[in-house]
Amino acid sequence: MIITSVLIKSSPKLPRKGFHVLGCVLLGALLCLEAPAQEEKPFPFDIMTYELENGLRVILAEDYSLPLVSVAVAYNVGSINEQPNKTGIAYMLENLMFQGSKNIGHMQHINFIQKIGGNLNAVTEEDKTIYYQTVPSNQLALVLWLESDRMMSLDINAQKVARTQNSLIREIQRRKISDAYFDSTLHFDRLLYPNEAYSHPIIGAEEDLRELTSKDVKNFYSLYYAPNNAVLCVTGNFQKSKARNLVKKYFSTIPRGPSIPELPLTDHKDSDDTVKTLENYTAQSPAFHLGYRISSPESTDFYTLTIIEYILLRGRSSRLYEKLMLKDFTARQLNGGIETRKNLATFKLFVRSNTETMMERSQKTVFSELNDLRSDLIDEDELERAKSMFKRDYINRYAKLADRAIFLVETYLAKGSLDGIATEMQRYIAVTPSAVIGIANRYFYKGRILLNIKIK
Amino acid sequence: MIRHTEIHGVISRLSLLRSICVACLLFLSFVQNGAGHAYSDQERFRKEPPYPDPLLELRLPQIETATLSNDLRLSVLRRQRQPVMQLLLIIGTGESASPENAPGIATFTANMLNRGAVGLSFSKVIESIEAMGGNFTATTYPDYSVFSFSFLEDYLEEALNILSRMILQPAFQRVEMDNVIRTMYFDLVNKNDSPDVIGKRVLRKILFKDHPYSKIAFDETVRRNLDRRGLVDFFKKHYHPNNAEIVLIGDLSLQIAARKVSRYFNTWTSQDVNRNALPPPKPNQELKICLVDLPDAKDARVYIGNTIVLRNPNDYFPLTVLNQVIGGSAHSRLFMNLRESKGYAYWAFSSLEFFKTSALFTISERVRPEVISESIRESLREMQKISTSIVPSHELEQAKSFLIGHFPLEIEDSVNFLDKLSALRAYDLGDTQWRQYYKNLMLINAENVFDVAKNAFFNTPVIVIIGAIQILSERLNDYELNVYDRSGKLQYTINKGALE
Repeated sequence: MIITSVLIKSSPKLPRKGFHVLGCVLLGALLCLEAPAQEEKPFPFDIMTYELENGLRVILAEDYSLPLVSVAVAYNVGSINEQPNKTGIAYMLENLMFQGSKNIGHMQHINFIQKIGGNLNAVTEEDKTIYYQTVPSNQLALVLWLESDRMMSLDINAQKVARTQNSLIREIQRRKISDAYFDSTLHFDRLLYPNEAYSHPIIGAEEDLRELTSKDVKNFYSLYYAPNNAVLCVTGNFQKSKARNLVKKYFSTIPRGPSIPELPLTDHKDSDDTVKTLENYTAQSPAFHLGYRISSPESTDFYTLTIIEYILLRGRSSRLYEKLMLKDFTARQLNGGIETRKNLATFKLFVRSNTETMMERSQKTVFSELNDLRSDLIDEDELERAKSMFKRDYINRYAKLADRAIFLVETYLAKGSLDGIATEMQRYIAVTPSAVIGIANRYFYKGRILLNIKIK
Repeated sequence: MIRHTEIHGVISRLSLLRSICVACLLFLSFVQNGAGHAYSDQERFRKEPPYPDPLLELRLPQIETATLSNDLRLSVLRRQRQPVMQLLLIIGTGESASPENAPGIATFTANMLNRGAVGLSFSKVIESIEAMGGNFTATTYPDYSVFSFSFLEDYLEEALNILSRMILQPAFQRVEMDNVIRTMYFDLVNKNDSPDVIGKRVLRKILFKDHPYSKIAFDETVRRNLDRRGLVDFFKKHYHPNNAEIVLIGDLSLQIAARKVSRYFNTWTSQDVNRNALPPPKPNQELKICLVDLPDAKDARVYIGNTIVLRNPNDYFPLTVLNQVIGGSAHSRLFMNLRESKGYAYWAFSSLEFFKTSALFTISERVRPEVISESIRESLREMQKISTSIVPSHELEQAKSFLIGHFPLEIEDSVNFLDKLSALRAYDLGDTQWRQYYKNLMLINAENVFDVAKNAFFNTPVIVIIGAIQILSERLNDYELNVYDRSGKLQYTINKGALE
């Protein structure tokens, strides 16, 4: 058994605003793009990580504020792992995980949790699937019993698969009706991502879902839903030693699964600008999707790119929101930001306007703002504001126990460990004005993917 | 009377017995399976759910309160290691205090507060708040208004500074007023297709008829009531320190908080404010069925409600248990009956909204139109059942167990937490009500629930049905139907199939 204990010690508080003098920043920028890391501010909780012999990685993070515990189990599998013509299988499996295992009846997992006042949910993404629940802390054993049973012995049969198939096909049809831009988003993702594995929708294609068999689902489950492909996290009010005993009791005898095949990772294609138009589209108003392929989440550029996301899009005082939605009123909807799918990241925007003229004006504004970001050094106050907004959102990612468990398993899956997690926020806070201008020039200079939507 | 610690002790002893039983089972399992585990022959402990440990006590921080020299009440709820601080400004006046001829003025005034101050534009306010990593919201309830301000912990001084400028030097500029009116108007217009908004609005209009609470049910026509004069008058009349409280949640003492708050708010002056509690709205005493036409609706939404007069604040707990038994979750009577047993409804729940001296009980359902009559009959049957027979003990315990388990989850969410905290402060309930939440709930017995149910006029609720009138009316031939428009105005009546 490998045991790593990460005890994050407290350190002095950060000065409220650091490295302000523009001259110093510029001088620093000549030497390096990122300022030296600031004094670290600790997490408000301790973390312990270890691994069972069957390969299950375990994270324990105590917090005695409320008599609650959250348990998250993340499997390192998502829609990217699906084979061609078998799309939707990861999401289907997420649904089946609530429909019973060897010792737990159909939908009983939900009943057990809800009866004791708990909450539960699950999420399937391109590169991971996470199951999580929060319950009164005296019920930790119950949750571990439930999670271990479905990791060990999920009951998959033809009847359940057929029922889930029908329900998912109805969901696709519902989404197409409720979201007029469902098809344009899929079209756009195909332009932006290098291949179908990255670009296809998590919910799957209707024609693929129809053809899935219970054997397909069982094979997918046997391969990916094994302890050696999972991370378990418990957060909240528990005693570490007791939690470790419970984890051992329920999970250590689950056999290790087969080796997980390496995913053939792909890089973004280098390309010039791509501009396409969907004519006669059925929707209420014209819109456009805009995207840039950016550096992978593991690169150091990613910190600055995240702060750029805040400068442009997060908060009512962000450049694009203020300009398009509050001052010029040329857009009626503005969404977007950085999106990561495994090793690839993109910067996406979706803007919807009332008329085509308004849409064109919105587009000009977006390009003009991106140009400004590339040509003018950002004002220090504006950068600090973006960082404050980022910091608030980052803190909120671990404010509640379930969110904290999700945050920890996501970080573990993305980085392979929790090393450096306490100083991670400081890397974003250390971004300088010159880094912003440099990174904006690197990623927003060429290679834009633009999809215009013209309505009937 | 059972004390909380005694209950804890009983559970501990029970748990010890259970632990012994579990240990015996484990030993038997070991003997049967042998020392080596074989996966095909699963361990015995996997067959049954484990017993819970003893319930841990819910420890909530005490609320410390002081009154500043200008009569502004200040409370501090100390929470350590919180990187985000929260500030509530509670004004003890809500929508029910809007002028008789101008509903919406209280909401309008609250929405105008962060729209700038003298020498400070709205965009500067937004920039300042976001520079603190902050968020500012205004909510108007019938009895009070709440401004909720969260920000990174290092920015308390800046937060107090900007809030004091909003309060002490409001600008109420014409351009911002127009923006707020436009935003309120379009928000309300956009909600006009929502069956939930329409249903709750019409239910409130009928139940609160002739009572000041009816003002909360305004629609987009409220726009004509909103002007600068009304706004300034309302602000001058109600926004005074002796009608307000500031609550700070974070890692600071009451002493430090008092010093900082005084620094920014000491020039805010008191004035006579009418703080008399309103009489409770009278419960509806004759069954009334109302329809609102939504021609394209594929299903029917049903809202059944009545007001309940609170005899004292302690009614809160038995009513909460009652609500849980009848419709608080997917294991409650309504859901189990209308969805799981009869298949009439997609979902059926109930809820309670508490005011100073009353509560509003509401059942909400989404049902198949072809069984609308049967759904209503079953819902009424459930309401009658709970007010004529004692809740069986196993059901009572299940409801209490759910509430006890769920309460920490509710307050873990900061929005819910601030909601509950502001109601607690605005209604002067004292923090023992929630600090002893477990104890208060544990003490509720079936007779307490029966007692509040009998007081609740459950036999004569108002029923509002939203859906396609053509389909629904022929299935409701046995009833007199009052047809309302989406704003809650009576249009005509259908008396057992005949138009009147």
